[in-house]
Amino acid sequence: MTVTAGVTAAPRRRTRRGAAFRDAGPPVALVVIFGIFAALSPQFRSVDNVQNIVDAAAVLAVVTCGITFVLMMGSIDLSAAGVMGAAALTVSLLVANNRNDNDFGLLGILVAVLLGCAFGCLSGLALVLLKVPSFMATLGVSAVGLGVATLLFAGVQPNISDTMLKGWAIERFLGFSYLTWIAAACVLVGWLVQRYTRLGRYAFAIGGAEEVLTLSGVRVKPYKIAVFALAGAFYGLGGVMVTSQLGAGLVQAGDGYDFSAITAAVVGGTLLTGGRGGVLHSAVGVLLVMVLTNGLVQVGVSPYWQGGVEGLIVVAAVAAAVIPQRRRNQVVK
Amino acid sequence: MRFTARPAAAIMSLSLAAAVLAGCSEQAAGGNDAAAEGACQPSDVRLVGQVRNESNPYEASWLAGGDAYAKSVGLTQERLTYDGDSTKQQEQISQLLAGDTKCLVMNVLPNGDSDTAPIVKGADQAGAYLVTQWNKPADLDPADHRTWVSHITYNGVESGQQIGDALATAIGGNGGIIALQGILDTAAAKDRFAGLEASLKKNTGVKLLDQQAANFSRAEALTVTKTLLTKHGEHVKGIWAANDDMALGALEALQQQGLAGKVAVVGIDAVPDAVKAVQGGTMTATVSSDGAWQGGIGLAIGYCVATGKLAVKDIAAANRAFFAEQFLITKDNAADFVSPKTNPADFECANVFNRVAGPLT
Repeated sequence: MTVTAGVTAAPRRRTRRGAAFRDAGPPVALVVIFGIFAALSPQFRSVDNVQNIVDAAAVLAVVTCGITFVLMMGSIDLSAAGVMGAAALTVSLLVANNRNDNDFGLLGILVAVLLGCAFGCLSGLALVLLKVPSFMATLGVSAVGLGVATLLFAGVQPNISDTMLKGWAIERFLGFSYLTWIAAACVLVGWLVQRYTRLGRYAFAIGGAEEVLTLSGVRVKPYKIAVFALAGAFYGLGGVMVTSQLGAGLVQAGDGYDFSAITAAVVGGTLLTGGRGGVLHSAVGVLLVMVLTNGLVQVGVSPYWQGGVEGLIVVAAVAAAVIPQRRRNQVVK
Repeated sequence: MRFTARPAAAIMSLSLAAAVLAGCSEQAAGGNDAAAEGACQPSDVRLVGQVRNESNPYEASWLAGGDAYAKSVGLTQERLTYDGDSTKQQEQISQLLAGDTKCLVMNVLPNGDSDTAPIVKGADQAGAYLVTQWNKPADLDPADHRTWVSHITYNGVESGQQIGDALATAIGGNGGIIALQGILDTAAAKDRFAGLEASLKKNTGVKLLDQQAANFSRAEALTVTKTLLTKHGEHVKGIWAANDDMALGALEALQQQGLAGKVAVVGIDAVPDAVKAVQGGTMTATVSSDGAWQGGIGLAIGYCVATGKLAVKDIAAANRAFFAEQFLITKDNAADFVSPKTNPADFECANVFNRVAGPLT
């Protein structure tokens, strides 16, 4: 059903309206999948569950926001797991916790985000100055992050007792947890950066045609580093949010987020080749992935089947999303 | 120079080869000679503990237990971690075995069943004393080997059932529960869930509403539990988790849904936070394999054999591969488990097999 929706939306000619159709794939897939699950399960369509889906999407949305900028640029970023682990341990040791007497509150959170930013900067520098492919550079930075996290962990799990940070996951405003509102703010900020700042526009341009940009006299290197640093800051915040949810600083805080964020971004229509997509696309992708994982549990698919079924639906959704774009971009490679 | 250099090199390499051969044959002869076994001076023994990583409390307590034991015999433990990477583990083992292996004692947590065979083979050839824990293929038996002294593991069916029963008692023998499974294709997840099924058969009033995999992860357990709580609502009276990390994730989910204290939660592994939760009453029960003891016992068994206080041929077949005793932790005894510590008496050569709960089945 999703596939046909995508195919019929495919424009024959590339007009301005074509662009709108082209972007319609993922949202249509989201609505269709949501509709199917809602029809199958009354619990799925309950208000509680919708809140639950959106709350569960918060961390992934923030991480995906960061990774989207890197993907738009045509690079790839696998550092999320390590950076989030380091940020999680840092924040849990800086706010009120059971390991030491620190109680820096917001300042601690800021430090953790800045640490993520610094890690991102490191990836960017390795890419630009040392010419390490982004794939390897970020994988290395991830390992460094996990190393830092393990050192900070030192054998004893830091549990946070900071009421503000713990409250982020528990307190609600208009039905959604504070974390969800933070994620929404991040998506908004990400979209504004992408739409209205030089950084965002250049990230697009670098992904679309880096050579043209260089030949026009733009110095792309600083922008590349800045994009990685921005992404790192988002991962740092993601690590803080996981810590708030779990009530403890875990080295494994970012486990699996690197690939699920890339999946969400691609499902939402941000291409790995760069130059296409954006923060809003990725946000739709995140919701799609969360609706899927939640829906499969709600309709009672056996856990032994879930992994496979989820994978199939993701492939189908991506196919639906990219079929209209296939001729113009080499997304099939 | 050139004419003299070559014969010199030839002579040197020949003598080197001869020395190596002599060393090998000497070692082999020594290894085959039963009298030479256990001829190590206590101070010559080299103790090595190898686990996946130090980033979780369980394995950290394992290494701490190994350190404590090593200190008690006046040695230090070499701590090795391989980040859950099978290749890295094999490399570390080969490096160890390439050195002096005469009095080497290794207490190893193999990454998976299939990783055990090459470790055992290498240790056997080099004559290093080896104790493995948790993972081994069923057809590989320490009794068929010379220096693979023991394999220690825990009965997952039993622990799964113990916490299942504790959960049933906590909810008054009546009501719905949900189960959080581990990584579905691991023996630990399968055995523990089989234990829950056995417990459910016994406690007929308890109904399993749903079971989902949360892959032993705290974060995944949080999301899955929240989803299941919205799906089953107030029918959920208890949560059975295949390990404590998932149980702690479930606790967070309950807190976020405003259900803290209203739903009973059980787990396995006795990580410090879970033991504290049991002590504080937010969690009902967990099961301890005693990580600190595991870290010490493997070294202790190897040390006793290496120094001649125990002979491999005298160790009963049932003690070469066994289920070790595990402890159900409830509010009554949680205080004893809050900080993992070892009892030196457990590691005396006469007592090293005191915790054998039964032969491997």
